[in-house]
Amino acid sequence: MAATSALATTRIRFRRDAARLTEGQAKDVRGAYAGMIGLRESDERSYARFASLHGLPLPIECQHDSPLFLPWHRAFLFFFERAMRDRVLDATLPWWNWATPPGQIGSIPAAFADEQAAGAANPLFSAKVSERALANGEEVGLPAPGPSTFRRAGIGGRRLPRAQEVADLVEISDYPTFQRRLEELHGQVHVWTGGHMGQVPWAGFDPVFWAHHAMVDRLWRLWQIRHNAPGPPPELWGQALPPFPMTVARTLDVTLLGYDYASSTSSTPVS
Amino acid sequence: MERFVSDPLTVAPPAAGFAWSAAELIVYGVDHLGPSYEVRVFLDAPAADAVTPLELEAGYAGCFTVFGHGGCFGDDDHCDPGDRFSDEYDVRLPHQSLPQSKVVDVTAALRAATGDAVTVTLVAVEPDESGGPRPSDAFEADEIRLVTYAGAGDVDASGA
Repeated sequence: MAATSALATTRIRFRRDAARLTEGQAKDVRGAYAGMIGLRESDERSYARFASLHGLPLPIECQHDSPLFLPWHRAFLFFFERAMRDRVLDATLPWWNWATPPGQIGSIPAAFADEQAAGAANPLFSAKVSERALANGEEVGLPAPGPSTFRRAGIGGRRLPRAQEVADLVEISDYPTFQRRLEELHGQVHVWTGGHMGQVPWAGFDPVFWAHHAMVDRLWRLWQIRHNAPGPPPELWGQALPPFPMTVARTLDVTLLGYDYASSTSSTPVS
Repeated sequence: MERFVSDPLTVAPPAAGFAWSAAELIVYGVDHLGPSYEVRVFLDAPAADAVTPLELEAGYAGCFTVFGHGGCFGDDDHCDPGDRFSDEYDVRLPHQSLPQSKVVDVTAALRAATGDAVTVTLVAVEPDESGGPRPSDAFEADEIRLVTYAGAGDVDASGA
């Protein structure tokens, strides 16, 4: 892990475990989400606009079952987090550690599962689906599960990935196999969460979507450290990742994007 | 389809003195345009269904998940890859609706199976409102292939 990137002296920021946020850190995340949610959906800075890039209204831009799965979503989260920090400078994306230890059934972190936070509606619990996305579904007879996001976590006999599965995943040295299995675990978590998260067109509207994908991105970062390799083959590095002004090459080193992953952080001035 | 039971697939024995190191089931042409669902893979368990225990003893080998698109939200042929003209100058990303390939590690279940052939049963399920799994008819695929791999020095400890 790094304190600054190799090419810049600016401090990198840390994405933290959603279950270990201080109240101040959680407040920053809530504030950033609330700020984005409060913007009109036609505003390119809005939560609805980012959620729509992954789903409705068309076009659906996300990359799945593709060698671009990890780079595309890394770019997606990067620009979403920049938009968060435009609202609350110190906010960073938290990651949802869905790797479940033995004997535990796993759950959504309280920061995202609690309906209320600090005496008000928690913007990390649910968000409205954009009007244009709802209209797109209605016009083809495939309405959204609901106008605001909800979850049906764990129904259907499903389970979250086991901690050992995730540990074994990072040990896989062959990148295509690693990526394929990581995407499978990613899909399991989407479907385990259920509700809007359970289908591609609506998933991005659920506030926990971003914490889920931060975990996916973190596992790629851990794989890169473990194997001292970027992952995607050089033939892919020049590939653009529309609609983002970024290539695969630009996604390969998170420190060059100004962030890294921590379990938790704590700081104090020195004087 | 809710269930698929294959004809027996041959499992060629490894070369004398060696053992295979891993086995995968590859499912080609998986449709992902409908609802999300899970496909459970069983070996030598042709009667397996949505309530069969997910245990090795019951023939359970693993599963894959389809994170579905929930239908086509565009106009006519929006989700038909054949509607797009493409040539060597086409720099667009691949069509979103192309079918997927899924790979399931079935090593443990295949080691537990006996004989030189196995049947593969695929059971598609989705969440039931009551909380349990129920059969799903969203699953469509073109082909399955059972692949065994040999490492460089996976000597069979039994010496067989």
